[in-house]
Amino acid sequence: MPRLVFDDVRISYTTRDDAAGRGLVTAVDGVSLVLEPGSTLGLAGESGCGKSTLALSVLRLLPANATVTGQILLGDDDVTTMSFGRLRAVRWTEAAVVFQGAMHSLNPVQKVSDQIEEALKLHSLASYPDRAARLKRVRELLTLVDLPVVKASSYPHELSGGQKQRIMIAMALACDPELIIADEPTTALDVIVQAQVLDVLTGLVRDRGLSLIMISHDLSVLAATCERICVMQAGRIVEEGPSLRVMTAPEHPHTRALAAAFPLIGDPASRRSLPGYTAPDAPTAAPSETVTEPGDVVLEVRDLSVEFASRGQRVKAVDHVNLAFRQGEIVALVGQSGSGKTTLARTILGLEEPTSGAVLYEGAPLSHRRKALKEYRRHVQFVLQDPTASLNPKHTVYEAVAEGPRLHKLPGNERDIVATALEQAELTPPEKYFNAIPQELSGGQRQRVVIAGALALSPTFLVADEPVASLDASVRGEILALLLRLKNELGLGALVITHDLGLAWNIADRVVVMKQGEIVEQGSVEEVLLNPQHEYTRKLLSVVPSAQAASGQDFVGA
Amino acid sequence: MTATLDATESLQQITQEESRPRAASWPRYIARKGGGALISLGMVVLLGFFAFRILPGDPAISMTRGRRVSAEQVDQLRKEFGLDQPLIIQFFHFVGGLFRGDLGTSYTFHRPVAELIGSHIGATLLLTGTAAVLSIILGLWLGQRAAWKRGSLFDKTQTGLALIFWSVPTFWLGLILLLLFGGFLQWFPTGGLVTPGSNETGIALVWDVIRHLVLPVVTMVAVVYAQYLMVMRASLLEEMTADYLTTARAKGLKEDLVRRRHAVPNALLPTVTLIFLTLGGLVGGAVTVETVFSWPGLGYLTFQALSAPDLPLLQGTFVVFSSIVIIMNFAADLVYRVLDPRLKAS
Amino acid sequence: MTAVTVRSKRSIAAARRRDRAVEVWREFARNRGGLVGLAILLVVILLAICAPLIAPATLLDVTKVDGLPNQAPTWQYPLGTDPAGRSVLLLLLWGSRISLLVGFSATIVSMVIGTLVGMSAGHFRGVGQAIILRVIDFFLVVPSLVLAIVLSTVLSRGAITIIIAIGLTSWAGTARLVRSQTLTIESRPYIERSWALGAGNAHILGKHVLPAVLPLVLAHTTLTVGSAIIAESTLSFLGLGDPTTVSWGTMLKSALDTGAATAGFWWYVLPPGIAIVLVVLCFTLVGRAFEAVINPTLRGR
Repeated sequence: MPRLVFDDVRISYTTRDDAAGRGLVTAVDGVSLVLEPGSTLGLAGESGCGKSTLALSVLRLLPANATVTGQILLGDDDVTTMSFGRLRAVRWTEAAVVFQGAMHSLNPVQKVSDQIEEALKLHSLASYPDRAARLKRVRELLTLVDLPVVKASSYPHELSGGQKQRIMIAMALACDPELIIADEPTTALDVIVQAQVLDVLTGLVRDRGLSLIMISHDLSVLAATCERICVMQAGRIVEEGPSLRVMTAPEHPHTRALAAAFPLIGDPASRRSLPGYTAPDAPTAAPSETVTEPGDVVLEVRDLSVEFASRGQRVKAVDHVNLAFRQGEIVALVGQSGSGKTTLARTILGLEEPTSGAVLYEGAPLSHRRKALKEYRRHVQFVLQDPTASLNPKHTVYEAVAEGPRLHKLPGNERDIVATALEQAELTPPEKYFNAIPQELSGGQRQRVVIAGALALSPTFLVADEPVASLDASVRGEILALLLRLKNELGLGALVITHDLGLAWNIADRVVVMKQGEIVEQGSVEEVLLNPQHEYTRKLLSVVPSAQAASGQDFVGA
Repeated sequence: MTATLDATESLQQITQEESRPRAASWPRYIARKGGGALISLGMVVLLGFFAFRILPGDPAISMTRGRRVSAEQVDQLRKEFGLDQPLIIQFFHFVGGLFRGDLGTSYTFHRPVAELIGSHIGATLLLTGTAAVLSIILGLWLGQRAAWKRGSLFDKTQTGLALIFWSVPTFWLGLILLLLFGGFLQWFPTGGLVTPGSNETGIALVWDVIRHLVLPVVTMVAVVYAQYLMVMRASLLEEMTADYLTTARAKGLKEDLVRRRHAVPNALLPTVTLIFLTLGGLVGGAVTVETVFSWPGLGYLTFQALSAPDLPLLQGTFVVFSSIVIIMNFAADLVYRVLDPRLKAS
Repeated sequence: MTAVTVRSKRSIAAARRRDRAVEVWREFARNRGGLVGLAILLVVILLAICAPLIAPATLLDVTKVDGLPNQAPTWQYPLGTDPAGRSVLLLLLWGSRISLLVGFSATIVSMVIGTLVGMSAGHFRGVGQAIILRVIDFFLVVPSLVLAIVLSTVLSRGAITIIIAIGLTSWAGTARLVRSQTLTIESRPYIERSWALGAGNAHILGKHVLPAVLPLVLAHTTLTVGSAIIAESTLSFLGLGDPTTVSWGTMLKSALDTGAATAGFWWYVLPPGIAIVLVVLCFTLVGRAFEAVINPTLRGR
């Protein structure tokens, strides 16, 4: 069983920097780390912090323009100076990588059993000398990861995200490695599927006494599967320690920011309160005179159904949904992918036509005609998930924010409208941002520009589809704080669509849980999240960090 | 049975319909692609007919351009080709004739067009078929090797040569080869399918045809292989950034095998599509090459038709050429489905 | 509030455009092939434009010629003479005008039709789209040379006819490219945002799609000019050009007709072809360099 040692490892990429000629980008800047045999380590950090680079360097899987200095010892051998032959022999037999299979880590034109067999043919010819023996092994491996054996002859596109991930795990175990490196193994998966995959992985690691390095930007995932967590920022390790401690009592400010992105549900400290802003009606706020109660019903959805024809079948995305939204309230619409929540949001915005039922604004049903719809759009606006893709890369901030007012020919000085909107989105001084283009801004700033664009029309209601899912964990808090502030200062209600229950706990008044096109539960946040009635809601809550679980039962490194 | 689906997914599906392979069962797939092919064939017939009738210029006048004819002779011509009847009647005659295999009568040869085409099509298929197969083999092999050795001398020379050949007009290359090997060095005959006046049979005939085939085929291959090389190279270069190749390397596979077993098969798919899409260009090349080398195929026939101008013959060759390409594209769709597992319905 | 000097919006936009232009040029200049191609092209275009100044058209008049027919190159006639006794070098110079003119014009026709149809095919849904798609597919599949021959036969022979014929047979490639690009752009969230803000078709197409599609079209156009020049020469070679004007294609047709190839008159057969190869190659190099500027993933090709 090898011990993995990183000794002052520095990894840099030579890039062809357009403006300045050759450039050198340092991905890992002096990391020293030890992984004892049989232990599990989580590498946490935001995108670009170097965690993937560090992990992939164990098997020298970095692209050709990467330079590695320092030592990486796998047992007694230094990986950086190994010969190619020895390296190829080490790969997969001593250490194996579980890539993010939901993307394109599997060959699309080969059956998955062939791909697993390939590993066996390379390294384990002695143990599995003929095809029959190898196929038997493939079936064994699939059973280990809880997959029906018949799936072996499938092509990757025929499998779901969770199934593909389990194939990746099965493939990694094919040659009995002693170290598993899991690179963002659950990132693109739903929380429930995520929990299943993690169960399989941790079960196998535990049963076989394997070492595990898991990389993720999600601290809660790491806390649930690893004994120790190592937090990286800009290529350096900024904090290291037992996972429970890092998760609940982080010391380094960056770790604190990361941990804040995963609020504990039920914890009053994170209810309507974020780093930087605490709402007047938060449990932790000082009692104040007036707290605005939500007003009348402004937006309503009655018996709404939306069906699509897809691949020759009728697909029911939204199934007879009834909802009411009041002025000035934040409603969180929670569901996993495939639940229909985005379709519902787009139908409310008039971007999708309902098959039956209606959307009513201030009592009047939405028209299908472009002109009437345009008037409606002044009042209900949209914030999308990926701020980078939501802005035309060639338009300046000014043009992006002014687009709405120009389309509606709003009266008044355009410049003032744009400046006010930018200020409301907390981009001050607004003039500084007028001529910036999206690539000059950070992710959080871009999302603020999108919000400003919506605010420029002075809407009464905002529909935000996963507004923080594409942002770094440290920026998440800022944007959520902004939404909360807009609610309290401008009376702006919002429908926030998310898969993240923690977000609902952070800022929402009410929460609606959706599954496969239907509403399974709705009510105030306190009711639904602390005392869930429906089984599905309970299931969702069981896999996210909550105040009860933090008492030590669910964390490995307690 | 209804299922559920998120809107963004379906929207993306709909917008990427063309680029993403859609799974369907065989009968559906054949119906869809076959239907498309039939519609295209229909449009060819329409275009073939109306191009000569509707565009400015009286067909009878076009046919007799540059010739001294009297007004009565022009009228006579009109009657002979049925040009004095209403357009719709003419169209039905035309379509009816197509189904019977009657494409009209050639003005210059005074024989049925269908018969002329029938006797010339073999030579064209021999020429284009040989050229296509050779270009594909050459282009694909060089292209994948150039992509793998990207930046090397091999890659640079191959890419450079391909770009040059891509810029060469096919007919001019034919002229040059004719000049050099036919006229100057006299290694190969200067035209025709067989040596005129000889009555060879069996192996001797085959050998004679091959000798005559060399220059035209070399001409066509030189221009066409370049396109296939560039496409294969670009396709493989793009494939080489794929994630599953990292997985293959992580398993301990040698670079060579990573390329051959994983990258190339995936890169072949878009290449195959593009190859079949450019078949029309191959046909165009046939016209010019056959003209330069007096190769008695459909292309040469087309050249003779346009010189006259012999409208029925031109119409016939247009319809036949286009139909061949449409049918080949349909065949390509079928081949592609066999190759790409993502198109098979589970 | 601190005093912030705000430059006028227009001057900032202009400065940004200038910076972008410099950036484009610098990236383009990295590609040696593109630079060489551009230089050669500029020389050729200049020569073509100045042809009347260098050698008056009267020198091409067959009746006023004093050279011997089919003469090999001499000092007086550096590229020899054609079957009528005219200097091949002069013919080459004058021929460039027609070849380039037809090439450019046909490309513009093709580009305009292709962009309009492609954008419509990518943007609109429903029956209209299905029909347009069929039409595009049809024009892609039909062998363009044969169709061009058909068109050129029924219309009167000449440069305009060839321009129309080439334009009508080559727009489909651009259309397919523009359509696929339009689909990609329209699937981006910022288009959704525009719809949600209340935009209509004109706004989306004009403000978002067209500006994004244009660079690609321009790069593709450069490549299309090359193939248009080859197409022109092919059609002229087959006899569909204007017999009274000189182009590189008609020179080669005349070479075939008078048996220059088999007789070994290489000075009449080689130069027009080499000229075509050179010009088309240059357009291809420039086009590829331009493509690499627009699409960073193609750099270092």
